[in-house]
Amino acid sequence: MATSNPSRETILARIREGLRTPAPPMEAHTFLGPIFEPVENPLERFQQECKANLMECQLTADASASAQALAQVLQSLPAGQIFVQDDPALRRLMTASGSQRQIRWSSEGGPQEKSQATITLADALIAQTGSVFVSASCGGRGASVVAPTHIVYAFAKQLVPDLVTALRNATADGRLDKNSYACVISGSSRTADIEKILVQGAHGPMRLVVIVETGR
Amino acid sequence: MARKISLFVPCFVDQLQPEVAVDTVKVLRRIGCEVDFPAGQTCCGQPAFNSGFWDEARPCAERFLRVFKDAEVIVCPSGSCTTMVRVFYPELMASGPAHDEALAVGKRTFELSEFLVRVMGLTDVGATFQHSVTYHASCHGLRELKLRDEPLRLLRGVKGLKLVDMLRSEECCGFGGTFATKFESISAAMGESKCESVAVTGAEYVTAIDPSCLMHVQGILGRRKDRAQTIHLASILASEAQA
Amino acid sequence: MSTNIPTPTPAGETPSALTAAQKFLRDAAIKSADLVHREIIRKNMDSYDAAHNRGRARIKDWEAARRKCQEIKREAINNLDKYLLQFEQKVLERGGHVFWAATGDEACAYIKDLAVRRGVKTVVKSKSMVTEEMHLAPVLEEQGIRVWETDLGEFIVQLRNEAPYHIVTPAMHLDRQQIRDLFREKLGEGIPDADPQKLVALARRKLREAFFAAEMGISGANFLVADAGAVAISTNEGNGRLSTSLPRIHVAVTGIEKVIPRLEDLGTLWPVLATSGTGQPITTYSTLVGGPKRADEADGPEEFHVVLLDNGRSGLLANAEEREVLHCIRCGACLNICPVYRNIGGHTYNTTYQGPIGSVLTPHLRGSEFQHLSYASSLCGACTSVCPVNINLHHHLLHNRRDFTKAGGAKTDGERRQFKLWRTAMLHPRLYELSGWMMRRSLRLLYGMGLAGTALDPLRAWSRKRMPVPLPSQSFRARWKKELSKKELGRNAGGNK
Repeated sequence: MATSNPSRETILARIREGLRTPAPPMEAHTFLGPIFEPVENPLERFQQECKANLMECQLTADASASAQALAQVLQSLPAGQIFVQDDPALRRLMTASGSQRQIRWSSEGGPQEKSQATITLADALIAQTGSVFVSASCGGRGASVVAPTHIVYAFAKQLVPDLVTALRNATADGRLDKNSYACVISGSSRTADIEKILVQGAHGPMRLVVIVETGR
Repeated sequence: MARKISLFVPCFVDQLQPEVAVDTVKVLRRIGCEVDFPAGQTCCGQPAFNSGFWDEARPCAERFLRVFKDAEVIVCPSGSCTTMVRVFYPELMASGPAHDEALAVGKRTFELSEFLVRVMGLTDVGATFQHSVTYHASCHGLRELKLRDEPLRLLRGVKGLKLVDMLRSEECCGFGGTFATKFESISAAMGESKCESVAVTGAEYVTAIDPSCLMHVQGILGRRKDRAQTIHLASILASEAQA
Repeated sequence: MSTNIPTPTPAGETPSALTAAQKFLRDAAIKSADLVHREIIRKNMDSYDAAHNRGRARIKDWEAARRKCQEIKREAINNLDKYLLQFEQKVLERGGHVFWAATGDEACAYIKDLAVRRGVKTVVKSKSMVTEEMHLAPVLEEQGIRVWETDLGEFIVQLRNEAPYHIVTPAMHLDRQQIRDLFREKLGEGIPDADPQKLVALARRKLREAFFAAEMGISGANFLVADAGAVAISTNEGNGRLSTSLPRIHVAVTGIEKVIPRLEDLGTLWPVLATSGTGQPITTYSTLVGGPKRADEADGPEEFHVVLLDNGRSGLLANAEEREVLHCIRCGACLNICPVYRNIGGHTYNTTYQGPIGSVLTPHLRGSEFQHLSYASSLCGACTSVCPVNINLHHHLLHNRRDFTKAGGAKTDGERRQFKLWRTAMLHPRLYELSGWMMRRSLRLLYGMGLAGTALDPLRAWSRKRMPVPLPSQSFRARWKKELSKKELGRNAGGNK
């Protein structure tokens, strides 16, 4: 199964040979402060960034409020199948929401092309950029990109202040050893390829909804 | 004790725009400096250097260092030529005693506005110029010598001068030395964009610290029959109230 | 002074007889004079400038951010073998494949063989400049494989059978009406009001069929994260996500220089890349892929291949002075700010990489045939001032020029002879004075006879587009000798007339 790599040794040898000459030194510098503005109030910052990212962020106090919020979002969508990450918390949430929709669970495979929405958990929320950090364990890869609406069910305790912290945590818990993919999502899909005009909803979802349960 | 200044006059100023150097002398004398012109100087070597002929440029650089060896302070009415000495001579003479000499001379070489503001601490040099003026930020002075404010502060210190901001003042005028002739269509297009920015300000004059930029912009202004005229910063600073 | 850059070929000669340099001069002349083009680019760039400035203002210490990114890339490039091997090991451990390609042809062959072996009929591609560099699409199409560019801008230029105009915004040179007309012609659907939202929706519908049908997805990589063994892909549209989620094979193609040491380095690189590229705080999808789908995952490709392309990069690495050019994160900021790029546009370069980074890089990757790009610059330094990893781009152009002339050959011998003469004059003040006087005298005569800009005018390359420079009767040094060396000035010196 090993890939035949006739040029691998040649390339490595060229690299090693080339690096024998050290690069010229960099200029000295005196930067002291942080690169990014420190995040004072993460939850507030997260909400601000979500707004700027054209995401919908709803704070809920407890599971029943979350279920209600979910029900409202689902009512606003066209009829049809939805795809939900197969997790006990989401099973409970779906039941509590009273939704009658046909559900395809992630244990059956990836979302189908006709899905009206996907619902997943998240690994973390990032205040600095208003991002949702997901991985394959959040219902797989298609779950965050196939359907026109992606709904994330998250908890305030999952919120970290900045990207560096989120990535360090991911390194510490071996996120990419346990998952073949991860993604930091900061908005709904968009493009500015036509006259540099921003159009929301390109190939991915048009709507990204984050329900943040603060209670637990 | 009067400051002793050795004047470094770019070769094309010497031959094609002598009034820039004459006005530089006038300004320096007005603020009480003693000005000398080491006649042995010719060219700093920039044309050959920029075209990649470093072996041909190096003897010019070595000559410059010899001619200005004993100069206490060297002042030059050109950002690009000052850059050549301070930034590129150390690279051109990469090692050995010539390298150290280049670094030392570079520290003593100043563009005119740099000298007036940073060394002499002056923004009012006793000039009067009753016209509207807009400022073009020549690239070498801006990005290599980090001169952003200094020319503007001097312009604000001129009596009667109305300073008008130019959009995209930091965009290159398109001269670029031999670029102007090797890639004349691109150079001209860049110059036209610059002239358009000038025209929008409605100013009577456009000024800069680099005579080469002004030579190129004047050429295009003339072609377009625009109203504005170019004038070097030194000539504005040399102007006095009419009697 | 004549130049080492040949003048454009006269009309009537067959285009194939033109060298790359001649073609460049011809196309540059056409584009520079095209005022419609100038206006379109001006509008695009003003929009970018505004977004970029807003984006930079969001970062507390932009210079510190640039410095940090420079340090990260410098560490990566100067330990390239170590980090590439760390990356490779992790990918292999997870059942992925890593193929090291010395040349573009080797890379194309690997991908083509893979596609043929696996019975691939349809490929969806997200943006990858490296695949353009390799000319991958034609190689696959020859096998009867349909290749869909899924990045909207790339999709548009693919329909037009054109190269991308800009590395970040491939269809910048087109307006909505042109895109509407293109879609009507090639996709068979019209959108009367050319509303960008509807145009995007149409492209989405068409490409969705491709995403779900394709057996193979090909992506680029913005970064290769060594400690995580992951390919990092930054996109906004979601096409990169779909291309790497739905098809059963994912191939990530990348230059070897994309490596970074640690996952947390992305905490700085992601915002800086987005800020410099489009003015965003971060791109919508910052994706990390480390391997094929695991058994317990809901979906994903069964196979994951990373193709590492050298294609001249190891040669550039060996040049210690130029090594930092490999730090480039392909943000496009230098293209956006470059006044030359703004006037001649992306296609004139006729290379995969355009603008300042393209001009620095291409002669090294493709040879001296493209050395004219190093000269097609006024060395204004705007590129260097915006580069988020602090590459001294305009100084590298100078180095390219120096190395090119040192290598010698017919192209530079003529100019070298002229500079040798010039040097002789410059080393002898009296000779310099005499030459200067003769030049002024003869030009005054010539211009006085109305011959400016004609074949007799040695400065016609100047006078064709500009009013000739007024010629003074006396040089400065003559005036100094006569009157100025005395302490007082005789009379008022005037302005620049």
